[in-house]
Amino acid sequence: MNASEQAARKKKIQHVIMIIVLILVFLLFIAPFILVLINVFKTKGDINSDPLALIGAHGFTLRNFPDAMAKMDFWNVFRNSAVITFCATVLTILFSAMASFVIVRNGRWKACAILFAAMIASMVIPFQVLMVPLVSVYGGIFHILNSRITLILMHTGFSVSMATFMFHGAINTNIPLELEEAALIDGCSRWQTFWKIVFPLLKPTVATVAIIDAMAFWNDYLLPSLVLGEKQLYTIPIATQMFYGTYSTDIGLVMAALLLAMLPILILYLFLQKYIVAGVTAGAVKG
Amino acid sequence: MANLSLKGIQKIYPNGYHAVTDFNLEVEDKEFIIFVGPSGCGKSTTLRMIAGLEDISEGEFRIDGKLMNDVEPKDRDIAMVFQSYALYPHMTVYDNMAFALKLRKLPKDEIDRKVREAARILDLEKLLDRKPKALSGGQRQRVAMGRAIVRNPKVFLMDEPLSNLDAKLRVQMRIEISKIHERLGATIIYVTHDQTEAMTLGTRIVVMKQGVVQQIDTPDNLYSRPCNLFVAGFIGSPQMNFMDAKVSVDGENVTLAVGEHVLHVPEDKKQALIDGGYDGKTVVLGIRPEDISDDEEFIKANPDCVIRSKIKVYEMLGAEAYLYFDVEGTQVTARVNSNTQLRQGSDAVFALDMSKIHLFDKETEKNILF
Repeated sequence: MNASEQAARKKKIQHVIMIIVLILVFLLFIAPFILVLINVFKTKGDINSDPLALIGAHGFTLRNFPDAMAKMDFWNVFRNSAVITFCATVLTILFSAMASFVIVRNGRWKACAILFAAMIASMVIPFQVLMVPLVSVYGGIFHILNSRITLILMHTGFSVSMATFMFHGAINTNIPLELEEAALIDGCSRWQTFWKIVFPLLKPTVATVAIIDAMAFWNDYLLPSLVLGEKQLYTIPIATQMFYGTYSTDIGLVMAALLLAMLPILILYLFLQKYIVAGVTAGAVKG
Repeated sequence: MANLSLKGIQKIYPNGYHAVTDFNLEVEDKEFIIFVGPSGCGKSTTLRMIAGLEDISEGEFRIDGKLMNDVEPKDRDIAMVFQSYALYPHMTVYDNMAFALKLRKLPKDEIDRKVREAARILDLEKLLDRKPKALSGGQRQRVAMGRAIVRNPKVFLMDEPLSNLDAKLRVQMRIEISKIHERLGATIIYVTHDQTEAMTLGTRIVVMKQGVVQQIDTPDNLYSRPCNLFVAGFIGSPQMNFMDAKVSVDGENVTLAVGEHVLHVPEDKKQALIDGGYDGKTVVLGIRPEDISDDEEFIKANPDCVIRSKIKVYEMLGAEAYLYFDVEGTQVTARVNSNTQLRQGSDAVFALDMSKIHLFDKETEKNILF
């Protein structure tokens, strides 16, 4: 066996090992999802007797879905989740895109540099540190807990730093200053330049921020559980928690609720996924 | 179209750097003005001040008599073609060209008419539905021109618009720009560091160095009557030859000694040397490569302006040849007819056309004969 054949063989072995590792990691990630899919169509008894069986002893059933929807008041919690996620995502994108435009284009202003540095620094503070003071200030002093608007503003506040950081990179490297100057000469005001030229060119980053934040807001449990105490304001993750009883849990209903919670965000992801890689790598490579 | 007036224009950055110092220029209607100079000389900064993209630190800038210092770019009625073209990537060619007209809320049919007319002039009719990324460099450049043309502005500003094109396309587009100037009768201010563009396009050229205007003149005058050593060296390719020469005044006879070579100064240039008190002093002798001849007839007719040397490099360019040789340690270039018999290593005799020489003060670098 000559050297080139040896190298080819080595490369092939490496390739096989890589594929095996990838498959194992994939299975690790997909297993919970498959468990949900298998068990959502089984009765409570079938799940308890054999959670890994593809079809239960009592056969295939869709009963879990209407039961779960009724118990968790699905359309109400879905509406709450949708309104909160949509509003917080839109506000995050608007504020952070505009803020990063001002910060990037006024790099010489100390105020901008300090503001941006403060935003970056805030990203390293864990939410758990702020959790208790947040609730005591908003609840104890301002008395504005139990409000969708409060949660929307809190979500926006917590996510705007990261989004600004992403838009900052995208504007810095992907939007040449000359484009804005051309727009100014063509007759745009600063405001028009941002909306007609800069913002449309930030589409990949907008999509990335939208999917990352929408997923975070949709799935978030901790912050809504602190802010929303009234049942009619519950979001899907909090409502799902209701299925977990002290003495018994109806796993079938939990699975149905989880699947219903997952579907909208999964559809959004599939719709926007082609932009995600472009958005995440924006600014990484000089184009 | 319009008259422009720039008086005492200065650009001083917050760190104290003077990018442009005391810039004065009157631009007449339909003039094609070129700003030329090496990188960092302030030519683009001046153009950007005219566009309103940079603040004017001091001085007055007027268009048709109206002070423009604090007027927004959009209200100056100017159009600009950028070096990178700055086409909006998310818009089609049509939308790029129509953008400024839409912002001015012109009727749709008028916008359409103007865009299609500009597209016809620039041969862009078949590309109107394409996005900039689907265009070649030359096509993008034409779209950038079209975007300026549709607006029919008072002044066109062009910041090195051809520098991203290859050599062949650059020549083509240079001719196109010249035609557009003729056709539209536009007032154009054009920035370049390419002196061929400057010489071929401009009605007047502004030569700048380190933020200071060196000379404002027609291409012909800049070439034949440069005001100082910098302009003489910057304009012309191959550049003008410079040699140190000692002046001797002996009654009516004035000579220049370049090492052992003694050159007789012609009548029309003597007086400036005598009046300037240059007797015994060293000046810089400048002569363009085409004014150094290896023609035997010329050498015989001008025995008092001969230099001898050995050819170091011979470059054949087809219609002409460049000969490189040393005179008193300074490299000199001669542009001669391609049928010259001189080759590398040949002992050569040349005669200088003394009627075309330029003499510069060694200290001030100003043209003594200007």
